[in-house]
Amino acid sequence: METGHVPDAFTPTRSAFSSGFAPGSGMKELRFVFQCTLGVLGIVCAAALAHRFGWLLPAALLIDLAIVVLTAWLGGFWQALAVSLSAILVHTAFNARGRILQAAADPASSVTLVAFVLIALVVSRLSAHVRRTATEAESWGRQMSDLYEFTRRTLAMNLNIEPGQQLADLVQEIFSLEAVVIFDADLHQTYQAGYWRQDPQELAQSVYYFENSDDDPASGLGRRVLRLGNVPIGSLIVRGDTTPLTNNTIASLIATTFDRYRAFANESQIETERRTEQLRSTVLDSLAHAYKTPLTAIRVASTGLGEMGKLSPAQAELVSLIDEQAAVLNELTTRLLTTARLDAGEVSLQAEPVGVRSLVDDVVAGLKDRLASMKVAIHIEDEDLELKCDRQLIGSLLTQYIDNACKYSLYGTTISIRVTRSKSETIFSVHSFGPEIPTADRERIFDRFYRSANASHRAAGTGIGLAVAKRAAQMHGGQVWVSSSQSEGTTFFAAIPAAVLQRS
Amino acid sequence: MNMSESEIRILLVDDESAIRRALRPPLTELGFEVVEAIRGEEALQLLRTGTFDAVLLDINMPGIGGIETLRRIRSFAPRLPVLMLTVRDAEEEKVRALDEGADDYITKPFSVRELIARVRTAVRRVRAPSRAEDAPIEIGDIRLSPAQKRVTRRGQAVHLTRKEYGILHCLMSHAGRPVSNAELLTTVWGAEYREEVEYLRTFVRQLRKKIEDDPSSPAYLLTDVYVGYRFVDAEMLQDQAAIVTQDPDQPPLEPVPQPLPEQQKP
Repeated sequence: METGHVPDAFTPTRSAFSSGFAPGSGMKELRFVFQCTLGVLGIVCAAALAHRFGWLLPAALLIDLAIVVLTAWLGGFWQALAVSLSAILVHTAFNARGRILQAAADPASSVTLVAFVLIALVVSRLSAHVRRTATEAESWGRQMSDLYEFTRRTLAMNLNIEPGQQLADLVQEIFSLEAVVIFDADLHQTYQAGYWRQDPQELAQSVYYFENSDDDPASGLGRRVLRLGNVPIGSLIVRGDTTPLTNNTIASLIATTFDRYRAFANESQIETERRTEQLRSTVLDSLAHAYKTPLTAIRVASTGLGEMGKLSPAQAELVSLIDEQAAVLNELTTRLLTTARLDAGEVSLQAEPVGVRSLVDDVVAGLKDRLASMKVAIHIEDEDLELKCDRQLIGSLLTQYIDNACKYSLYGTTISIRVTRSKSETIFSVHSFGPEIPTADRERIFDRFYRSANASHRAAGTGIGLAVAKRAAQMHGGQVWVSSSQSEGTTFFAAIPAAVLQRS
Repeated sequence: MNMSESEIRILLVDDESAIRRALRPPLTELGFEVVEAIRGEEALQLLRTGTFDAVLLDINMPGIGGIETLRRIRSFAPRLPVLMLTVRDAEEEKVRALDEGADDYITKPFSVRELIARVRTAVRRVRAPSRAEDAPIEIGDIRLSPAQKRVTRRGQAVHLTRKEYGILHCLMSHAGRPVSNAELLTTVWGAEYREEVEYLRTFVRQLRKKIEDDPSSPAYLLTDVYVGYRFVDAEMLQDQAAIVTQDPDQPPLEPVPQPLPEQQKP
């Protein structure tokens, strides 16, 4: 996942450089001096013993060599060097009292010194190597277990809330870092843990924008761009004792967790929406059904009164008003019912070959009352045109378009119904002259319950019908749109593909 | 209007008391005798003990429901006029009811006038002296003679193809009653064509051009949207004429006695 150019050594950045002789903390200097002193003391003791018991020089040198080797193994090269020097000086001092100053000039001492130094060098190198290997193995094991722990914890993370802060805290805690900052580019949020002297938000964003992944051993900073595939989605900066490889792994895990969170959030949102929609449809459906009975009773009662025929003209007028309004309520209820069913996906597409001519005729016949005072022109490109579709749904769509045209067209203008066929689809259109539909509304008038601000004063409507039309077209894999201008009038279109696919 | 109905006795079956309460006064006032039942089971009991001229049967009822009630009624009373009360959006129910032998259906919310017209048509059909198979049928300007397979309109011969004649014959011999698409297709084309509704539509369109004055707004051959077709009977035609010639200043309380029982869905 990471493409950062980082060295693949698996040693903690800073501890690798702090081993051996390095002027660092006082503790280390103290230890250095202590080791030297101990070595020199050993040399002096050995020389004193050799002198006292009159050992041969080689025996004394052998003891000195042992001390030098020991110092080199346990301490280091520089300590061993100091001990070697002291050994030469001490022996010269004991062998030739008062001629210390000449000792350095003695070629035998120089040869001995060089030999000691060489041995010290080899032994200290060997020792350092062995020790480093041991430390590496131990550090490797510790980091593996940290990474394992981190992976486990991110997998168990609660994804109902944004994971950024949880991740920052977790990284700091598990890898014992001084400070962590994570930048989520998608939400444009930074999450930090630990103390930052600089503004961590700025740091993290610059890493994201300049896409620089690197490690700075001196400051202990590790910078990583978080990526999903090749796409940068944020950044991570850590300060503390980690390795480049660990930083890479942490960055991958964070990126994956962000991705999981997004998938999770998306899924639960879709699920919530689906449930809400289903609930709304169920409520609408049962409401609409519950309305039918009282409406029937009202209609039967009002028309019954009329039929009994003992009413004064005023009474008859009121009774017919009741009847009329009950019919309006009924129409509304029916529409709600239809849209609720369409939305709930209860209506399945029943595609059959439908003659376009007979379909249009039926729809127009169904709207006879409404169209009585209107001029209607029907243009069908091909009288024998057949379309494989759900007759009822496409009928609803056309009815809605024509009904809409009736509502908004200017008095005395003609409503034109047109059916044309292209290679891959059949296009129904209904044109009328009326007020222009504002551009902003042209998409939204197909949304349920949406009504154009200037339409609300002109005609009765529920804001349901066009939503039904849209849904009907969508179920056929088709689409709806509208064009409108003051001079050209308004045309509603529906394109139904020739090869209808089953859509829920 | 006053046909010699000498009191029609109706069994009204609906679980909704509001509808029963609303229907009883006008029906009684207009000379019908109304007996109420709340459920299909109760209706079946009443039908075994009493005699009725027609049944108004709600489709959606708790218990055995309207369709099953209809089926059981048909098992002992094949000719008793049964009219189903249904709601819009229930086309399949309507077709099933017709298949099970219902005489007609009425969509809620209906008007009293519509209901009475339907009941009278159904009762009249049963009471009419049975017609010989070959006897000519004459409704309005249209006359069909099965013996010669001849159709005339205002005395002029109308040339029909065999299928067109088949459709017309089937519809006219059931005048006033809705005939489902499947029934028409089975009768005229054969059982294997019962799904081919588009055939039927094409032929009906041709047929209308030959027998109707205005094929786009038919007066004889009416569409029961999503269900089937029906041919008007003589009384329905008279009612239509009465309304057309009515004083325009006095609009009728009801629009038209439902030439199209179903309006197109929105």
